[in-house]
Amino acid sequence: MAQERKLKITVDHDVCVGNAMCETFASNTFALNDDRQSEAVNPQGDPLAQVLEAADNCPVSAIIVEDAETGERLFP
Amino acid sequence: MVTAVSDNMFTEDVINDPYTYYGTLREEDPVHYNELYDLWVITRHDDLVWLTRHNELFSSAVFKNDPRPPYPTIYDSDLGLYEFVREYQARQFIQHDRPAHLDMRKVVHGYFTPRSMEEWRPMVKEVISDLLDEAEERGSMDVMRDFATPLPLLIIAEMMGVPKQDRPYIREVAEKLLYVGRGEPWRMQNFSEGISEMIEYVKPLVEKRIVNPEDDFISVLAQGEREGVFSRDQVISNSSLLLLAGHETTINLLCNGILSFIRNPDQYDLLRSDIEGMYVKANEECLRHDSSVKSITRIAAEDVELRDKVIKKEDRIRWFISSANRDPRKFENPDDFDITRWPNPHVAFGAGIHHCLGATLVRVEGQEAFKAFAERFESLHLDTTDDKLEYQPSITFRSLKSLPITWN
Repeated sequence: MAQERKLKITVDHDVCVGNAMCETFASNTFALNDDRQSEAVNPQGDPLAQVLEAADNCPVSAIIVEDAETGERLFP
Repeated sequence: MVTAVSDNMFTEDVINDPYTYYGTLREEDPVHYNELYDLWVITRHDDLVWLTRHNELFSSAVFKNDPRPPYPTIYDSDLGLYEFVREYQARQFIQHDRPAHLDMRKVVHGYFTPRSMEEWRPMVKEVISDLLDEAEERGSMDVMRDFATPLPLLIIAEMMGVPKQDRPYIREVAEKLLYVGRGEPWRMQNFSEGISEMIEYVKPLVEKRIVNPEDDFISVLAQGEREGVFSRDQVISNSSLLLLAGHETTINLLCNGILSFIRNPDQYDLLRSDIEGMYVKANEECLRHDSSVKSITRIAAEDVELRDKVIKKEDRIRWFISSANRDPRKFENPDDFDITRWPNPHVAFGAGIHHCLGATLVRVEGQEAFKAFAERFESLHLDTTDDKLEYQPSITFRSLKSLPITWN
């Protein structure tokens, strides 16, 4: 089931180490780019709970999740 | 073209000052074939990042996949012990590639998220405060013995559910396991003895947690066995891995960091002038400047071209964190200890899918330790002379043998 709430997901590439856990937890949302760093390729790809779990499991806290419409910070 | 660089990485000069030796390689022959040990030495930051993020090209299953005898040479009579060591090491989750590595890492990963590790911060602070109180009462401190060793050992033992009275024994056994990166021809004797003792120690703890899971990390591994991800032998092997990894690296960070502050009093003053604003950055600079782990090893999974060299399938590789973290292409004035450096894209914890599982815990311990020193002590001084400081003869760990200090 895809995400209905519109999300804005930011991955800080100064911080991302390419651990790829986000891709494991929310595989329709995150994918590694050519530099093997994470990109939120489809912010609506997975249910919110899964996206938040992915962000929580980032070992370097590189992922920020916000509500795209209200700007509400959902993670961290 | 390297002209004057010897391939012996265990000489006193290289052990005491790895930065000059690996720095020369980094500038002159960044993908260097070391004939003496039959391995590739990789020293540039960008190569290291690329290599660690291309895990499909470089296997972590080194003990399983390397048919050659260890380097430097060991006694022929110890080759049987080496087989025992290989089998044990090969069971550690870090010695696996995908897909097995992912299943294993998923079992343990959730325990170490930044959010969960924050919950340990109050205990870390309390332990630090107690250790420094004791040191102040005594009026002297060997940072290694009196601070850097007990702090992470106590925390990891707490996480693993190891009873308090057993901690000195765990440390004793861990000392033997550190022979993994050493050069003595007889090292397999100490190493395998440490392994046997660790297995004997951990086994009953694991058996208890399989039946009665608790809130500790061995129970997390035991859950992995119930899910069919780990065998019992793997649970035991990984328990002892975490027990060792959970303190050795932090010990080195704390000692090497304090030494960097002693040698750079201006940076210590700077930290003290704005502790809240600086302690996180200061800890990152300690991680970069004199990194706990010097190098990590891999086996090429296929032929790989790197800077006009061809690394052949099954060739051995060792990548040097200590050199990458001093690469002038990535860091301005890389040899300077500069706690204002930010961002600080060091690779002290590696990168990619094998990025250090315990990185956040190490960060919490380092941050709180340097902060506590800065809050308490106006200045730090060596209680010995610089030339008396000795390092363990290891190419894996940057470990001081002791660090006696005084303070004002």
